[in-house]
Amino acid sequence: MSQKPHTAIKVTGLTKNFRLPTERASGLKQAILNWLKGIKGYTTQQVLRGVDLEIKKGEFVGIVGRNGSGKSTLLKLLAGIYYPEQGNIEVHGSLVPFIELGVGFNPELTGRENVYLNGALLGFSNKEMTAMYDDIVQFAELEPFMDAKLKNYSSGMQVRLAFSIAIRAKGDILILDEVLAVGDAAFQEKCNNYFASLHGNQTVILVTHSMDNVRRFCDRAILLEDGKVKTEGDPKMVAKAYEDLWNQ
Amino acid sequence: MGIPNVLCRKNRILLGELVKTDFRLRYQDSVLGYFWAVLRPLLMFAILYVVFAKLLRFGDEIPHYPVYLLTGTVLWNFFTECTNQGIHSIVQRGDLIRKISFPKYIIVVSATATALINLAINLCVIIIFALFNGVTPSFSWLLIIPLILELYLFSLGISFLLGAINVKYRDITSIWDVLIQALFYAVPIIYPITLVLESGDFGQFASKIILLNPIAQVIQDARYNLITNTTVTTWEIIDGPLQFLPLILVVVTLAVAALFFRRRSRRFAEEV
Repeated sequence: MSQKPHTAIKVTGLTKNFRLPTERASGLKQAILNWLKGIKGYTTQQVLRGVDLEIKKGEFVGIVGRNGSGKSTLLKLLAGIYYPEQGNIEVHGSLVPFIELGVGFNPELTGRENVYLNGALLGFSNKEMTAMYDDIVQFAELEPFMDAKLKNYSSGMQVRLAFSIAIRAKGDILILDEVLAVGDAAFQEKCNNYFASLHGNQTVILVTHSMDNVRRFCDRAILLEDGKVKTEGDPKMVAKAYEDLWNQ
Repeated sequence: MGIPNVLCRKNRILLGELVKTDFRLRYQDSVLGYFWAVLRPLLMFAILYVVFAKLLRFGDEIPHYPVYLLTGTVLWNFFTECTNQGIHSIVQRGDLIRKISFPKYIIVVSATATALINLAINLCVIIIFALFNGVTPSFSWLLIIPLILELYLFSLGISFLLGAINVKYRDITSIWDVLIQALFYAVPIIYPITLVLESGDFGQFASKIILLNPIAQVIQDARYNLITNTTVTTWEIIDGPLQFLPLILVVVTLAVAALFFRRRSRRFAEEV
């Protein structure tokens, strides 16, 4: 494992609140009624309460935590999808987020068209996509099907294509949200090998519930609880802490 | 998001890819396919022509009335198509907004771009129509380009506003449906503006109000430059600095809408 000193992502004091509509507050009538009655129409829920973290270049970091602990919100903030209330996010290098596989996939388009559309959404030009295209198709093992419409793919094929774009897309920082369990056993094995090969070369942030994956791939892990960093450090130690959450 | 990176390379690529996708999907599974883009305004024109030119004899004193009517309907169609695509654009692309980060204005621009492509094709139809109808070609035809730009910027501004409001208040689509019906009669498309102008003092006043609407100003100017310089335009019946009000309205609408959209777009991912 090569250690590079440079920082890829630095987060300080990150806070995020969500407004949860109380009654049915979507609609003009309710909005006017609420306003007349002096009701805000929403309650504020604090999802992240001051998160600090730093991720170095080439590090493979796992983020774990219970449902609702703020993992996905943190990822979406890092990816620039949400806007932070407070705090600061510094990102050095290009960031390729996979909050969900196959974003923007359209069943009416062919496999090829979908790859290019997905690429454009991730910020790659046609030329860059053409350079990656063969690699993606090969990894997905879908060479004969690229000119068929996506709606004629089996669900396994769709996921394989999406996943191949995700891991073949050449970005400086890769963000993955629970997307490891795809395809059949053979494809899984291939993905696992690929992940193992990423060690030290690529910055990866992985959100997962699988402690096996944390122990296997990560250099470091972070346990989130109630919107704060509870424990961070050695993957084995963090995995243990995560499992202990249920044994208290 | 500053002005300089509004059209940076990355965003242009995404815009192009979204427009291409919209375009591919729009007329899929229809027998006549893309032909509908031309056929729809032509059919609307046919209905209006039969009712207003043949039965009610509205345009008897206007030279080349069919082309005159077609120009109006095509430009009006463009405005309604733009805003109707724009109002739904953000909500329709909710799945993208929730999962990936990119400048949201691209969604609105790509939704309206399809209307722009359709307009270009319909303009060719108008020109063929005009030549058959005996309109003499002239260099003033080129002035249609800045006019379309003006109408597009106005439509884009309204689309930004409506698209952003629609994320939280879906009522806006119903309100806009009614508003656009009313607006149709407030623009001299089916009736010649002279009809209003000649109906007394109130008519004089009303036609001035009508021609302060940027849509009416663009349509009348387009007719003036394309077909006949007997067309009554904003510049002709409104004096002084007030005649620039339509242009100012376009700029103000676009600026206010862009600022509003930018502020609201931070929370689109949570609200949509």
